[in-house]
Amino acid sequence: MATGHVSRVSRVMSVTCRECHVRAVTCAAAMAEEQRALLGPDGPDGAEGGGGGGSPGPPRALPAACDPRRLPHRLLVLALMCFLGFGSYFCYDNPAALQTQVQRDMKVNTAQFMALYAWYSWPNVVLCFFGGFLIDRVFGVRLGTVIFSSFVCVGQVVFALGALFNTFWLMEVGRFVFGIGGESLAVAQNTYAVSWFKGKELNLVFGLQLSMARIGSTVNMNIMGWIYSRVQDLLGYAGPSTLGLALLIGGVTCLFSLSCALILAYLDRRAEKLLCKEQGKTGEVIKLTDVKDFSLSLWLIFVICVCYYAAVFPFIGLGKVFFIEKFQFSPQEASAINSIVYIISAPMSPVFGLLVDKVGKNIIWVLCAVVTTLGSHIMLAFTFWNPWIAMCLLGVAYSLLACALWPMVAFVVPEHQLGTAYGFMQSIQNLGLAVIAIAAGMILDTRGYLFLEVFFSACVCLSLIAVVLLYFVNHLTGGDLNWSAKKRAKLQKAAASEAEEQERLRRQNEDDLAKLLPKADAFSLRNKYLSKLGAQLPAHYSSCFSTLAHRSVLK
Amino acid sequence: MEYNPGWNSSSVNLLHVRALGPEDSLHYVWSSIGAPSVLLVATSSPSSALRVNWTQLLSPNPAGAVWIEPPDSVVYATAVVFTKLFEFSQARNPSGELFYPAYDLSEFSWDSLSLNRTALTAELRGAPATDPGGAFANGSLAFRLTAYASPGRSGRLPRLLHSAESSQLEFLLAGVAPRGNGSRFLLELATVEAPGAARSLRSHRSIDDEYTPSIFQVLSLLAQPHNSSSVLGFLQWKATAYGSPSPRREDGIQCRAGGLQVASGTLPMASVVQAYFGESLGSSCTINALNVSFGGEEGEVYQEKRYLSWSVLLGFGEPPRDTFSPLVISIAAVALGTPLAMLLLGSCLLLLARRRRYSEYEPIN
Repeated sequence: MATGHVSRVSRVMSVTCRECHVRAVTCAAAMAEEQRALLGPDGPDGAEGGGGGGSPGPPRALPAACDPRRLPHRLLVLALMCFLGFGSYFCYDNPAALQTQVQRDMKVNTAQFMALYAWYSWPNVVLCFFGGFLIDRVFGVRLGTVIFSSFVCVGQVVFALGALFNTFWLMEVGRFVFGIGGESLAVAQNTYAVSWFKGKELNLVFGLQLSMARIGSTVNMNIMGWIYSRVQDLLGYAGPSTLGLALLIGGVTCLFSLSCALILAYLDRRAEKLLCKEQGKTGEVIKLTDVKDFSLSLWLIFVICVCYYAAVFPFIGLGKVFFIEKFQFSPQEASAINSIVYIISAPMSPVFGLLVDKVGKNIIWVLCAVVTTLGSHIMLAFTFWNPWIAMCLLGVAYSLLACALWPMVAFVVPEHQLGTAYGFMQSIQNLGLAVIAIAAGMILDTRGYLFLEVFFSACVCLSLIAVVLLYFVNHLTGGDLNWSAKKRAKLQKAAASEAEEQERLRRQNEDDLAKLLPKADAFSLRNKYLSKLGAQLPAHYSSCFSTLAHRSVLK
Repeated sequence: MEYNPGWNSSSVNLLHVRALGPEDSLHYVWSSIGAPSVLLVATSSPSSALRVNWTQLLSPNPAGAVWIEPPDSVVYATAVVFTKLFEFSQARNPSGELFYPAYDLSEFSWDSLSLNRTALTAELRGAPATDPGGAFANGSLAFRLTAYASPGRSGRLPRLLHSAESSQLEFLLAGVAPRGNGSRFLLELATVEAPGAARSLRSHRSIDDEYTPSIFQVLSLLAQPHNSSSVLGFLQWKATAYGSPSPRREDGIQCRAGGLQVASGTLPMASVVQAYFGESLGSSCTINALNVSFGGEEGEVYQEKRYLSWSVLLGFGEPPRDTFSPLVISIAAVALGTPLAMLLLGSCLLLLARRRRYSEYEPIN
């Protein structure tokens, strides 16, 4: 899902390590007891599974698939979590996959067509700030997930009904509702992941969720056209009702995700009862007044982010028809090439994440990514070279940028403002996407693809300017954005002993307080964002050890 | 621009457009006598004139009724005739293309030309003389001609670039009832070349679709002498037609050209062409026929809008070529130049600063 890939970068893990320890301790006793109870006198083969969670009941053993502490059950939960987002990712890019059909059947121009994407982004300009709050304070993660899934479902159904009744505004309403659910669902999904898999598996889980998202987008790109033509064969004609039916069939994936949400809610509740586990929280604190304290570097990062993504996602939204019209691809081939960015980024993200983490020098990586993207846009604009080259470059650059850009935020923002910074970044990214999507549609209608590509190139250039500025600003202010990992490690070591001392003192003082006031720490926040992007984190980055390497230590 | 020169009835249409240069003049003679056609004559004299012998022109044997005075000033002459309009539907089975009986444009009855002398446009509208199916009951077929006094670009899509010497022809089909579901139209045109020149169809893909959004293919039908690569005359069009009187990108109708074929002399010839080329038409002149079809596999735009317009530019010499607009060039220059300049300037400043710092430190060391 386009905005998605990054804008849905996960909302942040709530539980600090310390809190984790505390909870682990309290839970440990209960769990030991539970285990005794579960294993009971008559061994693991005692009772058949089923709804063991309903009541604590008499002590009995659970089969592996039903025991929340054992791998098979966790794998089941993992699968459910992955499919939780599948529907929304699948349906997000429905318009791109069916652009010709939507425009022909609904008789809309490209600007109106791109408004479908804009309407998805509008609610998220605001909701980025509230997703975490809603989950933590209002609904709780279980109810929240079900509610957001329902929004996604209802949105897709309304979208399809709009097509069925041949009313375009209803389709826009559908996309709006869909947008309300979509982004927040991703936050909920991450919260679930943290609450079930915090510790070593977390990065893997984030990676899998991300891959699932990519698979959803890719499958959508390549299958919706086929579904449409099947429906057309069935009805015998192409028209709004054909489109509506095809979209309804696509909406089945949302229904599937909703049922995953329901099952997950049930399992989570059951696990809570069995394991005295708490409901997951995002732990995100957003304070809008922090905005005035943002540094110049952070604003430059925002500019890079907005301009860069504006040149990628609206382009993918319009891409299919572009490849058909300019390069005379068949619709199938055009769908395939349009989804190559997603396909490439799935395996490349972990690789680049590791690379950036090992080497450091984030700004140089961002610079490389932006320049590569510029190159590929220029190639698409001014040449008839095989577009597979340009699109593969774009895919690689896109994955690299995601791995290098998002972690930089954590370097320039004090930890207590990190939630606000990420929320703000997503918010203006959505704003940028909405505006640029409509602008791109209008430009295409009046000026054609050459101008559109020049426009996208100009956007990338703007973000290039911001990167260059960021480099100099960072250089002049002696910032640490462009340090190599070696230098960071060295400084970290030097500061470690001193910090450890202070830390110990502080910990003693704050220990009691910490139990009462869970506070998200920068390191885990950053890791969570990183891992949502698919970056494989080194073992020592595991959030449980994050107390050893506080952000403040790095400074 | 003169209408029916030397004849004071508007029952027939003959429009003469003359473009004067300092050392040459170009003549465009549009006519609906017989099949709609245009005769293009380039002369090397600025004072050359068109002469018409009307009684002979309207007789069954018009050969020699149209000539240029003085005859030896003629450098190059060619003609384009629009002969037939076919309608066919692509049935569900891919093998079967069902062709309906063709409309023969030479058997149309044409209204008198409506002329706008300030805008230099003229419109020739007609319908079949006998229309048993009633397809033309609410519709008509028209050719809109535009001559230009200065080079430029027409304001409506497909915004063809033109020079002062060229003129644009727009083929319009409005309100004509299609005879089948998903039926498409195909216009047959023929070109007449005097001995020594030949027509060839060239398809050029341009990266520049700024003036005609999302259309990258430019087709031209060039007349070239046998032994040289210079171009004598051209027909040029973008691979699109539009399904609306105020065309927008989404009204686009795919337009394809079939191969250029040498036609035998059996084509129903327009009187004015016969009148000019005379007896040589059947013997030494080459006649080529080209089919231009409108609509793609899934193009049902005409079905809904019942409107089709296709623009083609006619002229002498090399066809005009689109270049990047100043806006595109300036955006590209600014967008690419700024970061480069910043990078250079910034690194220079940094280097300078570093050197100064070193020079300050050195004495201390």
